[in-house]
Formats: sequence, structure tokens, C-alpha cells
Amino acid sequence: MTIFKFALKRSFSNTTNIIFLTLFPIACIFLPNGEEWPFLPYGYQYFGLLILFVGIRLATIILEDREKGVVKRLAVAPISHFQYLSQNLLAYSIILILQCIIVVYGGVLLGKELYQPGWLFILYGSFSFASLAIALAWISIYRNKDASFLVYMSLIFIIVVLGGLLIPIEIFPDLLKRVAVIFPTYWLAEGLKWIVFSEEILDFLLINGVLWLYTIVFVIVGSIRKIN
Amino acid sequence: MKKLMEPLLFVNSWRFLMMGAFIHLWVLGDSQISSFILILLLLLMTCLRWRFALPVWFVLVDILICFFYFPYTDIAYYGFALPIFELALKGKCLFSLFLCAGVFFAQASSSFLFWFFFQAFFFGVFSFIFLKNQEMYRVDIDEQRKVRYELERIKIDLLEANQSVSHQAELMERYRIARELHDHLGHDLTGATLALQAYQYVQEPEEAKKILQEVKNRLERSTKSLRETVHNMTPMTRIGVESLESVVRNFQQKDIEFKKSGNMLLVPVHIWSLLESCVKETLTNVAKHSNATKVEVDLQVTESIVRLSIKDNGTAKKLSHTGSGLRSLQMRSRSMGGSLSISHENGFLVVCVIPLDKEMLNR
Repeated sequence: MTIFKFALKRSFSNTTNIIFLTLFPIACIFLPNGEEWPFLPYGYQYFGLLILFVGIRLATIILEDREKGVVKRLAVAPISHFQYLSQNLLAYSIILILQCIIVVYGGVLLGKELYQPGWLFILYGSFSFASLAIALAWISIYRNKDASFLVYMSLIFIIVVLGGLLIPIEIFPDLLKRVAVIFPTYWLAEGLKWIVFSEEILDFLLINGVLWLYTIVFVIVGSIRKIN
Repeated sequence: MKKLMEPLLFVNSWRFLMMGAFIHLWVLGDSQISSFILILLLLLMTCLRWRFALPVWFVLVDILICFFYFPYTDIAYYGFALPIFELALKGKCLFSLFLCAGVFFAQASSSFLFWFFFQAFFFGVFSFIFLKNQEMYRVDIDEQRKVRYELERIKIDLLEANQSVSHQAELMERYRIARELHDHLGHDLTGATLALQAYQYVQEPEEAKKILQEVKNRLERSTKSLRETVHNMTPMTRIGVESLESVVRNFQQKDIEFKKSGNMLLVPVHIWSLLESCVKETLTNVAKHSNATKVEVDLQVTESIVRLSIKDNGTAKKLSHTGSGLRSLQMRSRSMGGSLSISHENGFLVVCVIPLDKEMLNR
């Protein structure tokens, strides 16, 4: 588990990462409630956006390895690409899950109205994995860390807006409403809605199932080994 | 040659394009969540196929997924294009056609669906044939390469054997010369030496005169024998630098200047044969392809190398490829640890440098 340990240490190695990984989630807890929309406090609605940022921030460490030639050296080391990838992803997942715990149960401790914190935590967990998988697939097509990060940031804003996380989907035209389903952020927004209105449990399972399908698809795409 | 794109890239592009087509159908059609999950599942299968070489029976999963969605959405019918394509891609054209026909008639035969399936089947068969041919060419090229390497190895072995044989022949010749000298000269000269020693101690003039006559006879016989031995051992054919001079002298087409320097006796026989071939091949090339009027042949022998350079003053353009003669000479030079380089700048220039094996010379 050496790679796992180092992935954890490297994730907190610079100031920007520490801020992203610790201060921002805590700040989310303190954001106020919305009037009519969103149904949950602003911090909880926008936490999805933060998860997407944290996902790419962590995944670029793998890209950094590729840039510096670490992946090339690992290719001749007695360790498989699967071990390298799985230990890195495990470390990143643990960080993301810890963030979810801080945000959800921090809110509970502070007395925020979260309706069903347990389900909310599960939803954030599923979305964290999907976010990490998308980031992994994204960096697999890039060679440069900064370029990938910057382009992904703009992409995040598009999918967050079109997915109905920043703006309620009801105000979209019909075509955009249909297209929104394609984005994982739509499913997060749907999940948040479910937590507030708590309809059928099957709907919630479906939302999580779709997020997991996204995770699997993008992990398959992103797991390709690119040495150069 | 510039490498073109791999055919597999197009196969994968087709698969992902199908996903785009399904999403398009979904947005334009019912846009139900359940149909979207069908597309996600098919996307999952496509990604798996893109990353891993899945066995042919894996199409059953696609078929089951589509079959399960039959009652809910029309996209499930279109989804069958994927297993139809995959079956055709794996060479199971009959199964593919059977599936094509089955789904087509089950769906009350829409003409759009027919063309959709037809393009999937057609592209699948096309890709199958293309990939199969590529595989065959690859195997063929591998075999040819293997044969070529083997041939080159045999050539090098033969050249080494040739070198070894010439060295053996040289040793045999030395042994023959030593035997000839011993048999024909050794006895008489030893006899003459002994007779001269005896002559110092003889008192009687008659006896001394007789011994002196004997010494004289022996020395005369030795001189004659030496002359005969040398005559018998002198080869009738030209060897060494003489053979090179003879080649140059007999080449009438161009004006040739032949220069030589160094001790020619240092060069072993097998190197002379290479140098001679080099001169012959280059002069033939000059006569055939160059518009030169003058050719300079320069042979330099030092203690460690032999350098032969042949240069003309022609202005003919460079040939697109090196001829087999020069290529073979390059290989022979390499097998002797040397090199043969060709230049077309400022006339045609061939330089052959061969190192002299000092250990072999001392043996």
C-alpha cells in the first residue's frame, strides 16, 4: 500500500490542495438557506460543484506522474498498472468520502435542515465516485496538467449549469431539459430534490444506479495506460 | 513511409458514433429515463469493447439488454445494430444476418430500421475483412523478415568462413615454403658449412682441394634449388596490388589515375579480394551511370588500416537507391569490421576502410 500512502500525502502536499480539501467543504456548511430554490442550503446545493473541482484536482496528480515520467518508471517496476491506479483512486475516494462526512454530519451538528442526512451522504458518495471517474477519463486525453485543469474548469461550469445544479431545470426550454439528463449533475440535482421531498425509494436507487453507471463507464475509459 | 491510421480506430469510432445516434434518437423521441439507462448500458458495453478484447459470446449481453427493453422503447430495436455489427466483425456473418432478420420482422419492418441494420452489418463485414487482411499481411511480412534475417546471417557466416579459409590457406602456404626450403636448401647448406669447418683442419692440399670443390658444388646446387623453389612457388595469377593495377589498366572507358602508398604486404589475401571487387564494382557503376571524365583511385595502407577511395568528377544526380553490388560490398566490409561509405556530393565517391588485424598478421 505504499502508493496509497503516498497518494494521500501528495494530495495534501500544497496549499491550494489543503484549501480545496479542508476549508472549502467546511465553508459549505456555513452558507445560508435559499428562499424558494434551492431546497437545501446553498452550501449543499453547490457542494456538487466542489466535488467536481476536487475530483480533477486529485486526478491531476496522476497526470503529473505521467508528465514527470513516473508512469514510465512504474512500467518497468514490479507493480502493475492496476495496482497503481486502484491505490491512487482508493486514496482519492477516501479523501472525497471524508469531505462528504464533514459536510453532511457537520451540518447535522450545526443543526442545518438536511431532511435525510444518511441518504444525502450516500448521494454525495455516489457523485464523488462519478466525479473522480470523469476526472480520470478527462486527464487520460491530456498530456499537460494545466491545460487539462483549465479546460475542465470551463466544462464543469457548463455541465453544472446545464445539469440544473446552479439554476433550476424547470426554467430551461424543453430541448435543454431533455439534454440535461445526459449530465451527471442532473442526477445529483434530482437526488437532492428526492432527499427534500422523499418520494419512492426506487427513484433514489435509480439515481444512484445511474451515477454508478457513469462511474464504471468513465473508469473504463480513464484506466487506459498512457506512458508518454 | 508515413503511418496511416489503424483500422481499429474506425471500428471504435463507429461504435461511439452509434452511441451518439442513440442519444440523438432519444432526445428526439420519448426522452424517458428508462431509455437513457439503456443507452448508458450500451455505452458501458462499448467502452468495455474499446478497452478489452471481449469474446464473441459477449454480444449475448447486448442482446439481452436490448431484449429486456423491447416493451419500453424503440431505441432497443436500434440497439440491436451493435450486436449485429459485433457478430459480423468477428466473422459470424450468418448469425449476424439471422439476428438482423429476426429483429427486423419482429419490429413490423420499418424501412429506416432496415437501412440502419444494413449499414451495421455492412460495416461489420467490411471491418472483418479489412482486419483479417491486415493480420494476414502482418504474418506474411513477419515471415519475410525472418527469412531475410536468416539469409543475412548465412551471408555473414559465409564471409567469415571465407576469411577463415584464406587464413588457413596462408598458413598452409607458409608451411609448404618452410618444407621446401628445409628439404632442398637446408641439407646442402648444412653440408657446405660442415665441409668448410673441416677444411680448416685439413693438412693435405689434395684433400683440401677436394673439400673446397665439394663446398662449391653444394653451394651451386643450393642456388639452383633456391631459384627453382622460388620459381615453383611464384603464382601465375596476379594477386595483391598487382590485381588492382591490372583491373585499373584494363578499364579503358575513362581516364584513371591510380595512387598507392604504404606497405602492401601487410594486407591479407581476403582483404585484397574485397578491394578488387570494390574497384571493379565502382568502375562499372561509373561507366554505367556517371558522366565523369576522370577517376581517381587511391589506396593507402598503414599499420592499422587499409583505405581505398575511388572518386570521379561526374555531375550525375544521385540514384534513388544503392545497387545490390555496393550493398553486398558494404555487408562484406562490415563483416571484416570495416565500412564502405558512398557519397554523391561533388562527384561519385566510394571510400572503403578496413582495419588490419595485427594479431592475425603476427601469427
